[in-house]
Amino acid sequence: MNRIEQIVLPSEQRATPRTPQASRALPFLGVFLFLVLLGQAAIVVQARPQDLISGAHGMADILRRSFPPDFSKIGDTFEPALETLDIALFGTTAAVIMALPLAVLAARNTTPARPFYFAARAIIALCRAVPDLVWALLFVTAVGLGPFPGALAVSVHSVGMLGRLFSEVVEDMDMGAVEALTMSGASRLQVFSHAVVPSVLPSLLGIALYRLDENIRASLVLGFVGAGGLGFQLLTAMNLFQYRTVSLLLLVTFAIVMVAERLSAALRAQIS
Amino acid sequence: MISAAGPGMIEAEGLVMRYPTGRLALDGATLAVAPGELVVVLGHNGSGKSTMLRCIAGLLRPTAGMVRVAGAELTRLTGRRLANARMALGMIFQHAHLVRRRSVLANVLCGTLGRHRSVATSLGALPWSEAAFAEQCLDAVGLVSLARQRADTLSGGQAQRVAIARALAQRPRAVLADEPVASLDPEAAEEIMRLLRSLASDEGMPVVCVLHQPALACRYADRILGLSQGRTVFLERAESVTPHQITALYEGRAA
Repeated sequence: MNRIEQIVLPSEQRATPRTPQASRALPFLGVFLFLVLLGQAAIVVQARPQDLISGAHGMADILRRSFPPDFSKIGDTFEPALETLDIALFGTTAAVIMALPLAVLAARNTTPARPFYFAARAIIALCRAVPDLVWALLFVTAVGLGPFPGALAVSVHSVGMLGRLFSEVVEDMDMGAVEALTMSGASRLQVFSHAVVPSVLPSLLGIALYRLDENIRASLVLGFVGAGGLGFQLLTAMNLFQYRTVSLLLLVTFAIVMVAERLSAALRAQIS
Repeated sequence: MISAAGPGMIEAEGLVMRYPTGRLALDGATLAVAPGELVVVLGHNGSGKSTMLRCIAGLLRPTAGMVRVAGAELTRLTGRRLANARMALGMIFQHAHLVRRRSVLANVLCGTLGRHRSVATSLGALPWSEAAFAEQCLDAVGLVSLARQRADTLSGGQAQRVAIARALAQRPRAVLADEPVASLDPEAAEEIMRLLRSLASDEGMPVVCVLHQPALACRYADRILGLSQGRTVFLERAESVTPHQITALYEGRAA
């Protein structure tokens, strides 16, 4: 949250003095450049609005066939839904455990030596740069179909996201209390548990909860590549043209995402 | 009386501090502060006053010279023994440096950690057996009514008073203050100076305080040390320091 403030707030003060002509011409130039970019994007994605119109019949057909949702199968959604939630819970927890030591190594003010700093930064960047869907594909190949490769994929990608955010929290930490307690004769461990932990713990918990919420959404999609959960059920139902099951699964997904989002937001509000 | 072992003397002799960059920050500064005495160090930025305080606090090791606090020669100690000897010094910084999310009382209790090195306190437990004593320290700064409040709800002046209470909880034998009022409004600044004064007069502590305000120095100090380019320009009783001396001290920067 601090990061966002840093980015958003100073922009007003950042405005550099320009000549009156330049300040009038610049917005027009900006809009023109944007339109050119948008034009080439429309060509590259082969945007054809007429396809939407001609395809409307097909879409209406799918919607008709998926209504009403097949609530008789609600009992069958329980297990895959639990699987999806557990992939996120297990993956996030494992990621937090791995990201904490990495973050301490990857923060300039706590790293023991430069090589550790660069190594930790490199691991974090690699985990983050590869999307969780790609990690899932790799792990499905390695350990086979099921929820476990999904949990692995979620945790490895999350190590990248959490490692970076955690290390930023550690770097932004106020070192004053650390100095004050060190001066008063507290031991290194006491300084860590009484000054460092209380000042970073709430931020870390908030970030971890937000990640859990994101991972629930991520693990829904991971099923598409065979990594278990509701996504896998959704893919199967689609392939079997069971559209009433599809719409039921979408409703369940919607409910889970909404509840997780609200719950995570409420918990984070409690912490701060 | 908050200090159990009783106040001790602060002695610094012939302090020379040359930084690795070659800059000479201290060039033979000498100061002795007796129990019950408040000495204010004045000087422009870069005059060496903060360096001097950090040398006395054992945070910096002077290139030459000797620092003795309550009988322990800090300049000859290292590691754990230096850390133990430093516990005799209560240090007050420009900012209160409280742990913001913890209660006022918890912050004061943190000052007692040096005496309670156990597995439990290392894992984050507070030494609650000292709670009554911590409240006594809070009472000394007039904030016992705020003991249960979170530290980040305090005003700047209140936070600095809690920092003083935390330093007292350490049972120090001498007190050092590094520009303790630099970020406070005038009213809060007076309050902090009154507290430091009473630490000297009522608790019998030797107090060394680095300040930027000559007016406060003249009103609260017993003696004033004027530093310029790391050397003592004057060290006199506060009432005998003339405005001319102070003007000359701050003009020393141009010289």
